[in-house]
Amino acid sequence: MRPAVLGAAALLVAALLLGGCAGVSVPLPAAVQPAADIAVKTGAKAVRASRPISDSEEYYVGRAVGARILARYPLYRNPEVTRYVNEVGLTLARKSSRPHTYRGYHFAVLDTEEPNAFACPGGTILITRGLLKLCDNEDQLAAVLAHEVAHIVHKDGINSISQARWTEVLTTLGSEAARQYGGPAGQLVSLFEDSVEDVFKTIVVNGYSRSAEEKADREAINILRKAGYNPGALAAVLMKMQGKEGAGGIYRTHPPTQERLAKVQALAPATPPTGEELVRAERFKKLEF
Amino acid sequence: MKAGFWRFCGKPALLAAALALLLLAAGPGWARSLTVSRPNQQLYQEPSFASSPLKTVPQGAKVTLIRQEGEWYKVDYQGTVGWLHRQAVPEAAPAKVDLSRLIFGGPVAETKSEEVALAGKGFTPEVEAGYRQKNPGLNYAQMDEIESFGVAPAQLEKFIQEGGLNP
Repeated sequence: MRPAVLGAAALLVAALLLGGCAGVSVPLPAAVQPAADIAVKTGAKAVRASRPISDSEEYYVGRAVGARILARYPLYRNPEVTRYVNEVGLTLARKSSRPHTYRGYHFAVLDTEEPNAFACPGGTILITRGLLKLCDNEDQLAAVLAHEVAHIVHKDGINSISQARWTEVLTTLGSEAARQYGGPAGQLVSLFEDSVEDVFKTIVVNGYSRSAEEKADREAINILRKAGYNPGALAAVLMKMQGKEGAGGIYRTHPPTQERLAKVQALAPATPPTGEELVRAERFKKLEF
Repeated sequence: MKAGFWRFCGKPALLAAALALLLLAAGPGWARSLTVSRPNQQLYQEPSFASSPLKTVPQGAKVTLIRQEGEWYKVDYQGTVGWLHRQAVPEAAPAKVDLSRLIFGGPVAETKSEEVALAGKGFTPEVEAGYRQKNPGLNYAQMDEIESFGVAPAQLEKFIQEGGLNP
């Protein structure tokens, strides 16, 4: 190649690179332009359709779900009990396969006799006084919390948002109006509201699918083992819940069916408490709820 | 004179000049500094909250941006290279294109402006504000209270030890 031609080629490359970086479009021949437009649009659509819900988005949906639950059940404000539940919960969360979330795990007690527990997407776990009372000891409380942590690990709550709804969110985000004006467009707020409703229905009203429950039980047993708790405590607490499948609360959202219990017992049968478990049971007994 | 100028430009020196121009343009991208504006942020091993935290980055700390991947920034903080989430530097403008990668190779798709624009939007605090305005009966105050609950690392260690649990 002659030096002059080489120089011109270098200039062209530089112009193309710098022009592209600065957002200056390089004119294409008329015959190529329509195909390029289609390619750009298709590429943008592929990005939109493929982006999953981010950790921060999961957090904001979870906050809204929690705020809805707290509008129904007030917080039980006992600093000693709150600290204890957070100590047990954090001991478990750090041994799970998702030890960190966007704003971390937080545990709180709801002031109601109705036994139930909720895993808000993003890491806030709520347990009722009714369910605390149902537990005999710390290991059984740990089993309940480990199961809820497992729902956060598997993103069971946030995955209740239908694919069609999420696609609509991404289409709205990609629209020219959203790009130009930004901010909380009314449509996006409505879609957020509908997404919160999807998650609320699953974790508060209808409950998770049977397969999600079984998967969460398996993860809970692993977490209990890794943390040093008795993994048989999950079977023990499920046994206590037997025969109440028709009742509300946790019996509807986490049905303790015979089949579920049998699978849990096969993985980790309930065993008599060890010395260390008895020490933990003592600190559990000292709390008032 | 004119002919002499073009004769000079036609030589390989022009190629060197073009490359020097490119390198100058890429320069600021390498040395971009970000200020952490939230307290107690963690530097992670991978661009995921599930990965291990490497170091705590205090509020006001300066970090050097290496590259961006969605909501995560790969940064250098006092010699430790790790990933910092966007929440730590909310005011940072998204990097448009990583020129160094463009010149020296490597994927540039992760910093395409379309993806950055999408990552920066979605369910954000602004959307939450709109939702709260529409639903004033929700108990966000107690949700904020719950998020303030925490256990100091030393206290958690003590709890684990006293209960005969695994550290």
